[in-house]
Amino acid sequence: MSAAKRPDAAVKLAGGAVYGTDLEAPGMLWGALVLAPVAHGRLRSVDLAGARALDGAVAVGPDDLASLLPGGGGDPERPIFPRAEISYRSQPVAAVAAPTLETARRAARAVRVDAEPLGVVADLEALFPEWPGSEAERSPDIAAHVHARHGGVEAAFRDAETVVRETYRTASIHQVALEPHACLAEVRDGVWRVWTTTQSPFGVREDTASLLGVPEASVVVEGTWVGGGFGGKGASLLEPYALVLARAAGRPVRLALGYREEFLLGRTTLPAVVRMETGVTAGRIVARRVRLLLDVGTSLPGRDFATGYSIGFLLGPYRTPAFEVEGYAVRTNKPPFGPHRAPFAPQCVFVVESHLAHVALELGLDPEEFRAAHLWKEGDPTPLGQPVGPCGLAAAFEAARALARRWRAEAAPGQGVGIGAGFWSTGTGAGGEALARLDGRGLTILQGEREIGSGSVLVGLRAVAAHASGLSPARIQIEYADSSRAPFDSGVFGSRTTAALGRAVEEAVRGLLTRLAERMGTVGPVTLEEAGDGLVAVHRSERRSVEELLTPEERAAGGLEASGRHYGRAGSIDERRVVAGTFYPYTDFTGSVHVALVSVDRETGSVRVDRYAAFQDVGRLVDEGSARAQVEGAVAMGLGTALTEEAIWSEDGRLENPGLLDYRIPTLGEIPPLEITFLEGFRGAGPDGAKGLGEPPIIPVPAAVAAAVRAASGAHLTELPLSAERVARALKLL
Amino acid sequence: MDRLRVIGPVAELEIFTPGTPEEALAAIRAAPEGEVAVLAGGTDLLADLEEERSRARRIVSLRRLPWRTLDWTGPSLSIGSTLPLRALELDPGVRSRLPGLYEAVHAVGSVPLRHRATLGGNLARSAPASDLIPVLLALDAEVELFAAAGVRRLSVDRFVRASRVTAIAPGELIRSIRIPEARPSAFRWQRVRLANDISQLAVAVALSPSDRRWRVAVGGIPPRAIRLAEAATALGTGAPAEAAVRRAGEIAARAVPLVADRRASEEYRRRLIGTLLARAVASALLPREGVG
Repeated sequence: MSAAKRPDAAVKLAGGAVYGTDLEAPGMLWGALVLAPVAHGRLRSVDLAGARALDGAVAVGPDDLASLLPGGGGDPERPIFPRAEISYRSQPVAAVAAPTLETARRAARAVRVDAEPLGVVADLEALFPEWPGSEAERSPDIAAHVHARHGGVEAAFRDAETVVRETYRTASIHQVALEPHACLAEVRDGVWRVWTTTQSPFGVREDTASLLGVPEASVVVEGTWVGGGFGGKGASLLEPYALVLARAAGRPVRLALGYREEFLLGRTTLPAVVRMETGVTAGRIVARRVRLLLDVGTSLPGRDFATGYSIGFLLGPYRTPAFEVEGYAVRTNKPPFGPHRAPFAPQCVFVVESHLAHVALELGLDPEEFRAAHLWKEGDPTPLGQPVGPCGLAAAFEAARALARRWRAEAAPGQGVGIGAGFWSTGTGAGGEALARLDGRGLTILQGEREIGSGSVLVGLRAVAAHASGLSPARIQIEYADSSRAPFDSGVFGSRTTAALGRAVEEAVRGLLTRLAERMGTVGPVTLEEAGDGLVAVHRSERRSVEELLTPEERAAGGLEASGRHYGRAGSIDERRVVAGTFYPYTDFTGSVHVALVSVDRETGSVRVDRYAAFQDVGRLVDEGSARAQVEGAVAMGLGTALTEEAIWSEDGRLENPGLLDYRIPTLGEIPPLEITFLEGFRGAGPDGAKGLGEPPIIPVPAAVAAAVRAASGAHLTELPLSAERVARALKLL
Repeated sequence: MDRLRVIGPVAELEIFTPGTPEEALAAIRAAPEGEVAVLAGGTDLLADLEEERSRARRIVSLRRLPWRTLDWTGPSLSIGSTLPLRALELDPGVRSRLPGLYEAVHAVGSVPLRHRATLGGNLARSAPASDLIPVLLALDAEVELFAAAGVRRLSVDRFVRASRVTAIAPGELIRSIRIPEARPSAFRWQRVRLANDISQLAVAVALSPSDRRWRVAVGGIPPRAIRLAEAATALGTGAPAEAAVRRAGEIAARAVPLVADRRASEEYRRRLIGTLLARAVASALLPREGVG
């Protein structure tokens, strides 16, 4: 990839990019959080005297919020410090700031927290040894309940020739962005200003304003360069604390997490239990029943999105005439659930792929043939009755099977080949807007997102603007502004940046071209071309200098402007199939099919991935270099979910491995040679048919690896990650 | 002696880099107990400072001591305590004559880490998960301790007591580690990742050419790596039969006090012992130039 394709390369290599942890301001204080000493407890008192006695230290606790916050203490449903009850270990109960980090940490240790321990709920299955019944609807332990059914499922199961039932368990995993959360806050003249490393400046603005009970207009969020997000930086985390400290201190306050705290405070995917039940007659699926218990930590009722969204993935992209799905979001004494690249989808796809392969093997059928025979075709209804749009899934599956046959022929003893297939839908978020400005020399896109490292902002949006205008990317600038000046956008998440914010960019650029067409006296298509240092607008054989097409006022103001908006374009589901809760329609259908070749050590259970291939449906390839990087990164990350990563929670709600030594992400030693094939032509919801690509390539990884492990060794695993010890157990070595 | 003051956001540190062991001991002695730490690599020390497990305000770095040495004297090898592990790993003599030591060093952390880490530092920390201590036990290595009053030697087995507890006395520094003879040897480990990881279990074996007997040691277990004399005896003299290897594995699995922790269960560790022992013995017996 050339440097020109990554406009951020030069500034990053030269050390000029300011990340969250680089933030400093003259006279600033260093902040630190005081974390709850128990996972559940009645808070008796928070004594800040010891902290306040230290030189230059400022401390704020639950009792200080009323005087510091204009609205009288912030959101009563979500107080930033607990008032009476601690609900997870590491919940911030107070915050301190001091002239040095060392003093701040000493001050944090000097805060005395008196809490009476209460019973801790950490384990889903301990809470519901029997599956929740209808009484659970009103249980305070349930944050959400979703239920859908279609097609006479009881009768279908009764009449099925064979019914296969299994239970699966998946692990809690962290995002592990290289850069931890960090921000710098200042409160002056009624403006609550925060510089922060975030995937969503506007999301942080909204969330912070709501948490602090101040008007959104008085909060200004300025994003820094972001050293990776993966879903972990989509909402506010440190900003409210830094702002409260800055307000109390009357000085800027910097607050950054160390890596241990990153694990303790981060919001991410928590454990889940899934029960799968499939009825088959004459080699065809006749009925499915899926039940999910998803740990959502201390997520508040009404704020769980994961259960209703992910449960669709548990049915998989397979035709099912009769089904029932039911999911419970279960509250436990852990931090609130938060998104991790394609939230919970890789786990769901691992479950459904492993289960359906198991069903096939139980019936003596070929597991790949069995799945291929049931794969969605365009126009098929999803379980919730939405017609499937253009999707490269079946074509990718076919290509993957052909490759798997070749690899099987070449495989050595002890090796095995497996296929995993998944789908995704490009996110829309709450929509987004962009402004395009054209002067005589180039095009500038003004928007409100910072580059998080994937290239989706600086490469993706630029490529979209280039494709829409006819200009080369070199003539296009992507400009960022803080939340008080930039057009609104909901965030760099959900694979939506290039695909959904890109639609707003595309519309803004088209708006400019329309204005130029009017000035050229045509309604026909106009494109831009470079002519020396300048630009020309071209309509058929007519060529006009852009400089001349602008008015003197526009030239003086910096150029001709047009804005674009994109507020989603979701399909709809058949609400008659919904019994309870909220389910979500898909905006488009992105297929990802992976092939893994693995070796299994039959004495130790160790799994080594030797070769890997990804077939990725992209709609339209916007920028090949960035697209490849997304697939490579997602496969590497997915191998962690598949094989090595597990946040271990003790029965008393303590995270046992908060650090990179015992929470193991893959290193280069675990990442095999990777072959990537893109499938174009199955149009998606993004600019000119593109599809979002940040998340889809992580989705099939655990499923593909699990299938290969089974092929290599016969080990059928129903739990993630596929650790050597679990494989050894499945091989009956223990 | 160089002295540097480092003022960072966390703490103000005084860093000494003495050129002689006498200066190093003086710098250590001059600081209050608990406020001084010796730096011979820093794999653990830097993490301890960051996580505030260490309250050291004075760091005495040993990197300029004249102990970055590697000397073969006939069959025996003397390794200076501050020689970076990477130099040990790249030495062709170590690789061919002490293959188990090579394998163990190669298993430590990552290449960048091995450019910093030292054998002396690893022994002084004496972590239960050390990949180096088991192989030093199997090679009958000796530690040479320097003090103002003179030098004393003791076996690694007696030097290492428990996690982070050694027989080193105040006023002593590890000067070198002596391995008496080249031995067919091997080191086998089980972990989650190839690099930058901690072994769930590790087995080192060595066959002494002088007495024809095996040495077996197991690591990755708290409180410290141990030698397994009975399992070694079961391997007999010279190349053992398959049944003897299996029996040695069973004896080892019974003899080792295993625990369950967040890295592995007790039964999984027990299962691994026989497998790793058999693989290590097979590897040690592979023909290599210059061994024996």
